[in-house]
Amino acid sequence: MPLTATTVVVPIDFSAESPRAIAAALEIVARPDGLHLVHVMPPLETMSPGFLVGDITEESRTRKVTEALTKLATETGATAAILVALIGTPGLEISDYSRRQQADLIVIPSHGYHGVKRLFLGSVAERVIRHAACNVLVVRRSDAE
Amino acid sequence: MLTCRSLILPWGLLWGACLTGPPLLASEPAAATAEAAEGPIADVAVEAGGATVAEVIDARFGVVVGWMEAVLFWEPVKAVPIPLIVLILLCGSIFFTVYFGFLNIRGFKHAIDITRGRYDNPDDPGEISHFQALTSALSATVGLGNIAGVAVAIQMGGPGAVIWMMLIGLFGMTAKFNECTLAQVYRKVHPDGTVDGGPMHYLEIGLQQKGFPFLVAKLFGLVFAVFCIGGSFGGGNMFQANQATTAIRGMIGDAARLDWLIGGVLAFFVGLVIIGGIRRIGQVTEKIIPLMCGIYVLAGLVILVMHARQIPAAAVLIVQSCVAPEAIFGGFVGVMVQGIKRAVFSNEAGVGSAAIAHAAAKTDEPVREGMVAMLGPFIDTVVICTMTALVVIVSGAYQEPAAGEGVEMTRWAFADTISWFPIILNISVLLFAYSTMISWSYYGEKAWQYLFGSSRRAVIIYRSIFLGFIVLGAISSLENVISFSDLMILSMAFPNVIGGVILAPKVKSLLVDYWTRYRHNEFVTYD
Repeated sequence: MPLTATTVVVPIDFSAESPRAIAAALEIVARPDGLHLVHVMPPLETMSPGFLVGDITEESRTRKVTEALTKLATETGATAAILVALIGTPGLEISDYSRRQQADLIVIPSHGYHGVKRLFLGSVAERVIRHAACNVLVVRRSDAE
Repeated sequence: MLTCRSLILPWGLLWGACLTGPPLLASEPAAATAEAAEGPIADVAVEAGGATVAEVIDARFGVVVGWMEAVLFWEPVKAVPIPLIVLILLCGSIFFTVYFGFLNIRGFKHAIDITRGRYDNPDDPGEISHFQALTSALSATVGLGNIAGVAVAIQMGGPGAVIWMMLIGLFGMTAKFNECTLAQVYRKVHPDGTVDGGPMHYLEIGLQQKGFPFLVAKLFGLVFAVFCIGGSFGGGNMFQANQATTAIRGMIGDAARLDWLIGGVLAFFVGLVIIGGIRRIGQVTEKIIPLMCGIYVLAGLVILVMHARQIPAAAVLIVQSCVAPEAIFGGFVGVMVQGIKRAVFSNEAGVGSAAIAHAAAKTDEPVREGMVAMLGPFIDTVVICTMTALVVIVSGAYQEPAAGEGVEMTRWAFADTISWFPIILNISVLLFAYSTMISWSYYGEKAWQYLFGSSRRAVIIYRSIFLGFIVLGAISSLENVISFSDLMILSMAFPNVIGGVILAPKVKSLLVDYWTRYRHNEFVTYD
């Protein structure tokens, strides 16, 4: 039975794996505007020089992320997708956002690290799987180590 | 699931054991670094089974300090008693200076042009301008090291130590160039415009690119991050809080009972910026620091003018004490070691901390920011530290038993010339301490994020601990704790200088390319 979903959330970390996750989500989502591309930013560092004396603000960060999401969506043919910039811990924010949007599916890329690299780099995908209220599709990297 | 936290556990257990283990006998004060804890220090009123809480904590830290000193101050050549860490810093700085063809001299004018904004392209990736990066880095380095540390160097090493401070300040310029260029090369510019950079990143990525196994490269980054966090709680926090409290007591009278309150107020104001996100306070502080540096140097100049007749004799004394030092100062090597240690504590060249701030500069030319960073040790050590040193020497404070130690000695020198000058000194101490704490909280948090991630919970835990250490620093007479934190800052130089030497060929090739284009006027200017 082919997999279809009305609302699909794709966490975006702008890695090389992100376009593959978007492509997979586009095949599954019923309508292109049911696709949500979500990037989670860490909390603003209030003592960073960029905030204290530079021009880094919550607004500037959200604007730049939205620009980057727009560029990615255009490049991957997901121009109708809803673009979202959130602040917090990626795994938890993605799960919470998906719950609020009553998403049917989360499509998340996995870096596919093993061994020592896996030990250090951790996994947002694992955290999403643990906390998500809906199905989660993990898109494996083709050359996963 | 195993994470990097597992690898940090032994360090955490060590720390925990020191804090919670059975009562220890009071350990020997850390002789080699106790001089860092200059200035009158408050007593702690809280009793814990006969010993104060501070004494108990201090004794625990004494054990760790002993171990760290055994490594850092190990003297590899018995005939020439130079501690290992001083040797690494000295040799590293000289190596960088020679390897980059005395860039500290030939690139000085260009560095000033860059800092003036001549090459600032607002569209370049990054958070802040070259000038803002320099002032941000200076707000961390210009602190008690410039006021109290210099007095300690003269006290422990005699007037001759000033020459070594200046020399290491000059050589340290190229060490700073190397680390800040590397920070730019290997920084991560995030989609939201923020930047992550610093030794943790360039050691990990750069060493892998040089062919080192992932685990070895990661270990360099991890070790640096752990030391950086320790340094941020200690030298970048407790030491500053302690001396700021001393300055406030100097203004309002000796009221040790108020130390809790002073510490609480300091923590509150730092908390307004680092937890409350009150941008305005941080902005004002960052802008006041260059002004305060100027006022401090001006006050020093006034004192020198008023003692103009003593200056030639002071200069002769400094040179004589350097080449033919008195035995009381440990001979030639003893004077050199004191000068180098205090200079590095002040300008942090080779330590790698400033590279975290310089990584945020807007540029697509890593070498360009490295050149701006070179000015840091020059301003910090060659200008400000030398000013303090001359004031202490020409006023005779270093020979005056009533002058006290550390910041007290500098204050005596100021008061001896013009009675109200200590007010300038006290305000400088307060502002320098405040800005240093904010800047170091950023360095520490970056290292913390490297270890524990950048989740909201992780950063709040770090910031809360940081604020707690401010109160602890204000109330306590924790010589070992402060020695420990100073040692942590020095320890950062281990992975940073060794990794920096390994990665120097990369910087050299970038420099050669940059300098060629600069000589051919290929750069766009924005005058």
